[in-house]
Amino acid sequence: MNPQAPPSRRVRLVLPVLAALLALPQGRAAADLIYVLNSGEASVTVIDSVTRTEFRRIPVLREPHHLLMAPNGRDLLIADSAANEMLIVNPDTAEIIRRERISNPYHLGFSPDGKYFVINSLRRGQVDIYDAASMALLARLSTPTQPSHMAFSPDSKRVFVTLQGTRGLLAIDLDERRALWQVDVGPQPAGVIWHNNRLLVGVMGGDYVTVVDPAEARVERQITTARGSHTVWPAPDGKTIYATSRVDSAITLLDGETLQVKGRWDLPGGPDDMSVAPDGKLWVTLRWAARIAIIDPATGQYETMRVGRSPHGIMVHPTPPPQPIATADPSPSARAGEPPRAEPRAETPAVQPAATPGPSSGTSPGTSLGLPSGSVSLLPGSLLGTAYAAEAPVPPWPERQAVEPPLVISQPHLLAPYNSLSRRLTLR
Amino acid sequence: MLDWLLDTQSRLSGWLLQAVVEPAFYALGLMDLIEDIQQWLDFAVLGLLQLVVAWLVCRPLEAWRPVERWPDRAAVRTDVVYALINRIGLLPLLAFVLLAGLQGAWESLLTDYDLLPPTLEQLVPWLLDHPVAAFLVYVVVLDFFEYWRHRAQHGFRWWYALHAIHHAQRQMTFWSDDRNHILDDVLAALWFGAIALLIGVPPAQFPLIILLLRLVESLSHANVRLQFGWLGERLLVSPRFHRLHHGELSAGQYGRNYAVLLPVWDWAFGTGDWHRDRFPPTGDPEAPAVLARGGWWRQQVAGLTLFGNVLRKRS
Repeated sequence: MNPQAPPSRRVRLVLPVLAALLALPQGRAAADLIYVLNSGEASVTVIDSVTRTEFRRIPVLREPHHLLMAPNGRDLLIADSAANEMLIVNPDTAEIIRRERISNPYHLGFSPDGKYFVINSLRRGQVDIYDAASMALLARLSTPTQPSHMAFSPDSKRVFVTLQGTRGLLAIDLDERRALWQVDVGPQPAGVIWHNNRLLVGVMGGDYVTVVDPAEARVERQITTARGSHTVWPAPDGKTIYATSRVDSAITLLDGETLQVKGRWDLPGGPDDMSVAPDGKLWVTLRWAARIAIIDPATGQYETMRVGRSPHGIMVHPTPPPQPIATADPSPSARAGEPPRAEPRAETPAVQPAATPGPSSGTSPGTSLGLPSGSVSLLPGSLLGTAYAAEAPVPPWPERQAVEPPLVISQPHLLAPYNSLSRRLTLR
Repeated sequence: MLDWLLDTQSRLSGWLLQAVVEPAFYALGLMDLIEDIQQWLDFAVLGLLQLVVAWLVCRPLEAWRPVERWPDRAAVRTDVVYALINRIGLLPLLAFVLLAGLQGAWESLLTDYDLLPPTLEQLVPWLLDHPVAAFLVYVVVLDFFEYWRHRAQHGFRWWYALHAIHHAQRQMTFWSDDRNHILDDVLAALWFGAIALLIGVPPAQFPLIILLLRLVESLSHANVRLQFGWLGERLLVSPRFHRLHHGELSAGQYGRNYAVLLPVWDWAFGTGDWHRDRFPPTGDPEAPAVLARGGWWRQQVAGLTLFGNVLRKRS
């Protein structure tokens, strides 16, 4: 501005500038919140993505490992496994809405159609299947040791669970609540995702990702990555698969189509879970270093930030829509707040959304769409966007009428003492 | 300073895990244990820090105003071995590896019967929003149970047969805190596990408080002529207070001053001795000489033999 200009002209120039400034999003509204679960410190660090400072630290009771956005987009579920507790948090403010008592929730996920809510209990060796609308327990399946991570088939009929103690990948029929098959994928399998009609399993006791054909229930091949392969994570555009490895402390980049190795980032500190921000950056927990790394996927450059001890699950809120990762020439739609594309991506199977709307309210699809974040596999955005963005308003999860589905339990002799109290996660 | 200390702790345990432990466990095909091992390593590094802090605080005090002076400190060196085994290795490993498996099986069974063990915070919801207060309540509750465990160690002859190792030391120093028979440690872990099922166990998010608590326990065994005054003696276990418990006339079933951290329990249950000028010699006159002078292994064998003898006489 010219300081010699007459006052009236100055005012004329300043006012639009002030108006423009006032119109800008104020304070934290412009930032994303990054939730980091400090499993060794009984807390959740919430980071402001713009200032890169701690926005809030939520004390939890014992040992939080994984987190997940509910399909309604308003409830962030944080599982405190050792405390037998689930925290329901407002993801916008990081305030605790309520607490639910539940036995050892380790890993958790909603089926893509929003019908089922599944909890893996690593310690007690059980997989719990809930009706997502009422949160009534449908079945508790005893599995071979240490059910760890899970992935769903896009048609929501099956859930696949890695069995860390027994080299297995277990397929469970969600409608019939019974095991379908189990296949040997390698020692101590951990993360699993559904990708291009295949299941990709990180094998922690090995240096590879195992590719399983779920239709044939057989191992198709192994892709060598790095020692201590752990979680597998697709880029939002599906063109790259990131595979973390704890022992060699690296992230291996796989081609989304061919699954060929196309790069590797060495990342000291034991990379574990990750989440993708709207600007395309990867936020990764460094399990052994009490830090997180923020990686620019365009260059592989990263910076780290201290959090609590043994950080495990991580989630960027709002979770970005599945758009191309920001590169040198980012498209406008790659920025935050854009709804996911309605059309299926070329590399994902064209799955019809379920006829019954998911348990979503009419939340704006531009915010969190119930993408199973944290360490749950990201499913095709088209599927999620359609299934969760119901046109007709439905009661928000989990406040709908309870249903009384048949209880299937793995040990029939234990059925008798089972009462109704724990069959429902919540009924409010 | 605190920030630096805790960051150093996490960096050190993280480095050890990545450089040594994780590759070894990977080679052995034991990667499914790695998260338990990480917790153990965190505690082991914290244990090492505890010993460093205890040495920095207690050793100058012992040099300044010792109750006793000894020409030969061989018996003290045995206690150093005990301290290293317990603080760095044995106790956390027992807690995180052995008990973790048992806990999993137990929780699975409880869940099948629709039972969820509560935590103290769930029983007293106010504590949910006050984690430091919750931790301190845990400390008080656990210290209460520790008082009664200690009473039991002296009250049951078979248990005292194991606990006698702790009392046999005639050169008591801050290292003597960890001088226990391994079976005694297992019983203590089971005792703790039972309490954990009742009220949960406190989270490990307050390493500084844990550091201070363990420092008090080390200090209470130190060879230093130190008492905390009329009020202080009733608030926190002092070297004077605990030395009286280790006095030659106090061993066995007729002991005094059982409190581990808070003397209030001895006050409440009539077992306190508040004579602030008494610093008796320590040791158990009836204990075999090997328990006082032997090395770690010989003491363990002797303790087990005593334990077996008591059981045989009972049957």
